[in-house]
Amino acid sequence: MRFKVKESFTAMEFKKKQLENGLTIIGELNEGAKSAAVGFFVKTGSRDESNDINGVSHFLEHMLFKGTDTLSALEVNKAFDRTGAQFNAFTSEENTVYYAAVLPEYLHEVTQLWIELLRPALRDDDFNIEKNVIKEEISMYQDLPGFDVMDRCRKLYFDTHPCGMSVLGTVESIDGLTAGQMRDYFGNRYAPNNMVLAVAGNFDWEAMCALAEEDCGGWSAQKTQRAISHYDGSRKKKRVEKPNLVREHICLISPAVSAQDERRYAANLTAAIVGDDIGSRFFWELVDKAIAETASLEFSPMDGTGAFYSYIRCSSEKLPQVLEIVDGIFKDAAEKGVSAEELEKARNKALSSLVIKSEVPMGRLVGLGFNWMYCQEYRSVEDDVEAIRKVSIEDVNSLMKEFRLADYTQLVLGPQRED
Amino acid sequence: MSDELHKRILENGMVLLGEPMKGVQSAAFGFLLPAGASVLPEGCCGGANVILDWMFRGAGERDSRALSDALDGLGVHRLSSVSSSHLSLGSALEASHLSEVLDLYADIILRANFEDKEFEPSRQLAVDQVKSLDDDPRRNVMLKLREQFYPRPLGNSTIGQLDELETLTAKRVKQLAAEHLNLGETIFSVAGKYDFDSVSKQLEALFETEDGKESKQVSIGDKGQHYTHIHNDGAQVHIGLMTETVVPQDEDYYNARAAISILAGGMSARLFTEVREKRGLCYAIGAKYHCLKEAAGVMCYAGTTPDKAQQTLDVVKEEFNKLKEGISEQEVQRARAGLKSVLILQSESSSSRAVSIAGDYYMLGRVRSLDEIKQKVEETTVDSVQDFLRRNEFKDFTVVTIGPQEVAV
Repeated sequence: MRFKVKESFTAMEFKKKQLENGLTIIGELNEGAKSAAVGFFVKTGSRDESNDINGVSHFLEHMLFKGTDTLSALEVNKAFDRTGAQFNAFTSEENTVYYAAVLPEYLHEVTQLWIELLRPALRDDDFNIEKNVIKEEISMYQDLPGFDVMDRCRKLYFDTHPCGMSVLGTVESIDGLTAGQMRDYFGNRYAPNNMVLAVAGNFDWEAMCALAEEDCGGWSAQKTQRAISHYDGSRKKKRVEKPNLVREHICLISPAVSAQDERRYAANLTAAIVGDDIGSRFFWELVDKAIAETASLEFSPMDGTGAFYSYIRCSSEKLPQVLEIVDGIFKDAAEKGVSAEELEKARNKALSSLVIKSEVPMGRLVGLGFNWMYCQEYRSVEDDVEAIRKVSIEDVNSLMKEFRLADYTQLVLGPQRED
Repeated sequence: MSDELHKRILENGMVLLGEPMKGVQSAAFGFLLPAGASVLPEGCCGGANVILDWMFRGAGERDSRALSDALDGLGVHRLSSVSSSHLSLGSALEASHLSEVLDLYADIILRANFEDKEFEPSRQLAVDQVKSLDDDPRRNVMLKLREQFYPRPLGNSTIGQLDELETLTAKRVKQLAAEHLNLGETIFSVAGKYDFDSVSKQLEALFETEDGKESKQVSIGDKGQHYTHIHNDGAQVHIGLMTETVVPQDEDYYNARAAISILAGGMSARLFTEVREKRGLCYAIGAKYHCLKEAAGVMCYAGTTPDKAQQTLDVVKEEFNKLKEGISEQEVQRARAGLKSVLILQSESSSSRAVSIAGDYYMLGRVRSLDEIKQKVEETTVDSVQDFLRRNEFKDFTVVTIGPQEVAV
């Protein structure tokens, strides 16, 4: 099957500019779009934290919404809501992203607002109230075992590597954090040379650049750095029990290629062949036979390293059988490789997914921003389509030989055992 | 969104709707089949999920594996779900494969193999889903809330009931499918890039072979309890709260939507401001409009640690009560901006549009144009919303909590 890249994708135009202070502005223009999406991508996350300030990146993300020296939190929220923007932010192990999807007529106003917020007041009073919210968020995720198991397993996998730092932090680390420590962290990490302003959809490029130059031009560059190293994982195995759980939540993590590695497209298709929600090896061996209720494997590329994450949920009774089947699937994949038909199905799903996602400016924004963050390159929809098309069976098979899924770190979160 | 709407009704009563979109290469479609959780007979709660899974385990000439391979080979993103009223089957795909995929869906809907050997895994997966709800209190609390809030059987769990799923047999589920997959009450919708003439000719040939059946009437009973607590030694108390409001057919619908927006539409809305921003009681706090054809409500969720649960509930209820005391021009303006913006942003996605037009047709018997919705939203004013709130006070809350501690309601 051949996917056509539609005319409006090929008509998308890429633009780039860098201010003297190092702030990079990138844009992908699509005049036919009904909306625009804007985002500030800051290269900072939990891997850039030390133990004593663990959770500060995510906490800081919350604090940006608390306003500036001239804007209160309520005024910020009102200003966003006045435009009808769909806006939010997220923090990961290595990025903090502030974004909004808006109607084109409000893009300028919303971008200006983000720019203001990127120089926040970080008031003590706001910090103290928001501490409660952060601790509530930590508690919320404790009640989501599917999330909890991944977080615990990441820590087990990365061990002492910085990528094992929890995004949320712990109640203890948040309790111990001071507003002063947060201000120091902000000063070091939120420098213009450590962030990218990305815009996608229907917008005026010159006007965006003029706005950024005017309002961000005065920000000072800083020396920022991040320790980058690949990590193969601890390969530890651990069981954690919680008396209120009734199911077994299994997370397996094994090493994979990084976000900069050309083989990331092959890694994505590998994950789909082995562990897509439907039609994968996991699906046929575990879910179709109702041995597990859900089973999926995803490729998670990171800065300088990467990992394959599996999440499986089943009954306690089926746990040993599930683990045995998974071992068989992983061993088989590395030893015998995949079939042409499997690769073709995974490829078609990936292409279709890419095309559908790219029809909406917000769907383009994230890829646009992250490509620049990780690779300092622009990749059009067409470039990605081509890269997916080029992946061969040999690419997938050699990847699975080099990055063996069987070399996993395992964490099982489940109910208390009677024995 | 274009204001163009394609519509055709087949002789057996099946409705075909389409909304073309410019500049997209995808198409999304869905079949709304009248076999939702509240429509199936008593004792079969969860049966719709079993039907849905079993349907994909082979249809027409293809066995389970061949059917799945055919769909995956065409890059299809399956979008299936069970609601109170419907079992919905659909997908989003690259538009040039629409015709091939519709052929496959006709097989699934009309000629599912329903082989006995495939029944048990389908049933088991449905059972597992119900069991897993105990590990997902946030989701569970909202399902339990709907069960208690809507008059029976409208709020029946869309996931199912364990005891009822455990007694379902292959024979019974086949019978349910035969009786409830009624083309006479099926709504098909497509949005994105498609040719309506060829789609409707194809669907006519595929689906008009079968007549519509007699429609199933649901007799509506009582509402559940005002307060339900389920004990769980988790980290938080998960609070679900619901109160009645107008249905989409009501002339006050847009006033209700504006009022709910003022309460919970954005980060400047009252609940977020009072519960999270000023008091730091919760991370997750929100409320939204939720409707069935027969009844509607404002559905609110808050998750908080046990020592803050009572205060959280009290503040939430107070904010519901305070609405009638007055709202500002700025609040109404922000509500209008939010409602219009969501509409336009969603109009860029073929999947959202396919779902919306079918939903409109089911609820209203017609599809509203973008202009109509925009105009109605713009017509809401401080006076109209206040007047609505005076006549339709938010009261008689149904509350469900899951967590280590009860609250006083």
